[in-house]
Amino acid sequence: MRLLIVEDEDLLRAQLVKALEDADYVVDSSGDGETGLYQAREYDYDAAIIDLGLPKLNGIELIRTIRSDGMTFPILILTARDNWTDKVEGLDSGADDYVVKPFQIEEIKARLNALLRRAAGFARPTLDFTGLSLDTTAKRLIVNQNEVELTAYEYKVLEYLMLHPGKVVSKTELTEHLYDQDYDRDSNVLEVFIRRLRQKLDPDETLKPIDTIRGQGYRFNVPPSSS
Amino acid sequence: MSPPLAAKSRYSLQTRLVLAFGILLILFLGLAGFVLDRAFKESVAAAVEERLQLQINALIGVAEPDEDGFFLPGLQEARFSQINSGLYGFILDTAGNEVWRSPSALDLTLEQAGFMYQHVEAGQTMFGTMESQEQGRLSFASYGTFWPSFEEDLDAEFSFVVMETVEPTTAEIREFQSNLYVWFGGLALFLSIAQLLLLRWGMKPLQQLATEVSKIEAGEKDQLEQHYPPELQAVSNNMNLLIKSERERQSRYRTTLGDLAHSLKTPLAVISGILQQSKQKTSSGKNGNPESLTELDEQLERMNQIVSYQLKRATRSDKSGYLGVPVKVQPVIEKVIAALEKVYRDKQVTLEKDFDSDAVFRGEESDLMEITGNLLDNAFKYCHSRIRIIIKRNMDHLEIEIEDDGQGIAESDREWVLQRGARGDTLKSGQGIGLAVAVDIVSSYNGEIIVYTSDMGGARICVSM
Repeated sequence: MRLLIVEDEDLLRAQLVKALEDADYVVDSSGDGETGLYQAREYDYDAAIIDLGLPKLNGIELIRTIRSDGMTFPILILTARDNWTDKVEGLDSGADDYVVKPFQIEEIKARLNALLRRAAGFARPTLDFTGLSLDTTAKRLIVNQNEVELTAYEYKVLEYLMLHPGKVVSKTELTEHLYDQDYDRDSNVLEVFIRRLRQKLDPDETLKPIDTIRGQGYRFNVPPSSS
Repeated sequence: MSPPLAAKSRYSLQTRLVLAFGILLILFLGLAGFVLDRAFKESVAAAVEERLQLQINALIGVAEPDEDGFFLPGLQEARFSQINSGLYGFILDTAGNEVWRSPSALDLTLEQAGFMYQHVEAGQTMFGTMESQEQGRLSFASYGTFWPSFEEDLDAEFSFVVMETVEPTTAEIREFQSNLYVWFGGLALFLSIAQLLLLRWGMKPLQQLATEVSKIEAGEKDQLEQHYPPELQAVSNNMNLLIKSERERQSRYRTTLGDLAHSLKTPLAVISGILQQSKQKTSSGKNGNPESLTELDEQLERMNQIVSYQLKRATRSDKSGYLGVPVKVQPVIEKVIAALEKVYRDKQVTLEKDFDSDAVFRGEESDLMEITGNLLDNAFKYCHSRIRIIIKRNMDHLEIEIEDDGQGIAESDREWVLQRGARGDTLKSGQGIGLAVAVDIVSSYNGEIIVYTSDMGGARICVSM
């Protein structure tokens, strides 16, 4: 998952970047609203964390511009002004949730997780498909009632695919959302991950959860669980 | 609380002026009436005296002595010749004996007329009035004279007396007086009406000023707009300046405190982040004392709560005399609801709304948003799946009721939770300061918050202000 963090306080920004990278997010950051807007326009993000008190272009303006440009990724606002006028204005401008400073990083992670999941249309923290379920909070995969161990990268690839079920996801999209910019896009690491995932999800090859669409990418192809 | 009024003046300016002018009018008209009445009476009396003197002169002019006394042929005044005409003439000697009487006094003796003889020096006239038995009140003039060419045996000094009934002059005076009353009454009426009209005209700017000020107090206007006479224009300008500077001061104060919050909280966030990193390190087996870090974390959280709470409190002051435009409640509460529905999207909360769309809040929009934001946030947070919101007007009051189907607030906690100014540092972590902040703001508008149990099972918070 690729995140954009716009926060002018260097130390706080560094902490957020570090904590979220530790949580396996791909994170871009900037210290002012204009740069933030440039990045939002340039890259495809899954979510953004935006401070309301930003230099050059304030948070509210930044969010408004992002929304009027047609970008729909969820936005979490950070605000030091713990009053409802600011919160309401922020949410009204197009943000999806707020966190008041100071905060616990865990709270930010939980809120982000919920935002990403909701943006994909899942109301609960567990993504349930027939025979498969991914607990996005505990980062656990259950296949036919058995927990299956995943590496961090495998988890990231699967989560991204499961959050976009039925949609063809190109290799480029996957690498952009899951890896840092300096990642070698030509490597066949992704294919290796997909192969390993297929083995873990579907050891007896009956489910065929991930299709390969030649020349286009991959598609998660399991019907939602009926329960 | 409103400032203590200085000993309240009992009379309005208008009452004072009406009273003063009324008293002056009564005094002036009374005195003028009295003086005019006196002057008229005096002039009537003088006219009577002059007339009597003329009649005496007429008598003297035609009097001729004869052996019986006097003979007055060819009296010009017909009333002397007509019996009981009201005008009577007598000639008396020095002993007061009647020497002659006019034919009109045929039936009238001096005693009947009530006349008491008094000697009058020759050439002098004495005037007076007397009460007669039959003729009523009479005026008289008695003139003393010598008669030089008189026979020896007759006394040569005589008194010519003329008397006239007062009746005609009394009638004249009465008529004058009733005329006087009519005119003065009319004048008083006219002056009173003129005074009221003048007062109204003169006081109009003051009344306009009072109306405008009360509109500002009611929040229907935000400054004085009318043009006033020069004496008041200065007051009006100064009031506008005062209102403007007060608003600017409040907004500056708020911005400053907001900035202060911002500058305090970001370092708090950084410290909190460092702490968490340290905690992760210590828990992953490196050096450090995880307990002291947890302690630090708790203290940090408390600091944060105190900063939040006190900053919020600092922006509140006495708002009961608020000067500003009233805020429609419904749009504000809808905004807050829209924001909270976004935040609590996962919860699928069902809202029941009963809004009086005309309800207004006489205060600052940000305060209303803070009250409803904090209360609704609690409702969304603690409800199971249902929230009911009612906005209504009760006389001049705004009432907001928010209830949910959550756990509610235990009766034993209610009093504590609603204490105005429950200090931030007595709040335990996780309790939140939302309700305490709402209570503080509502109190600053002289309102109150009461907590009940909702029939839905949770808390029913009633705000009245």
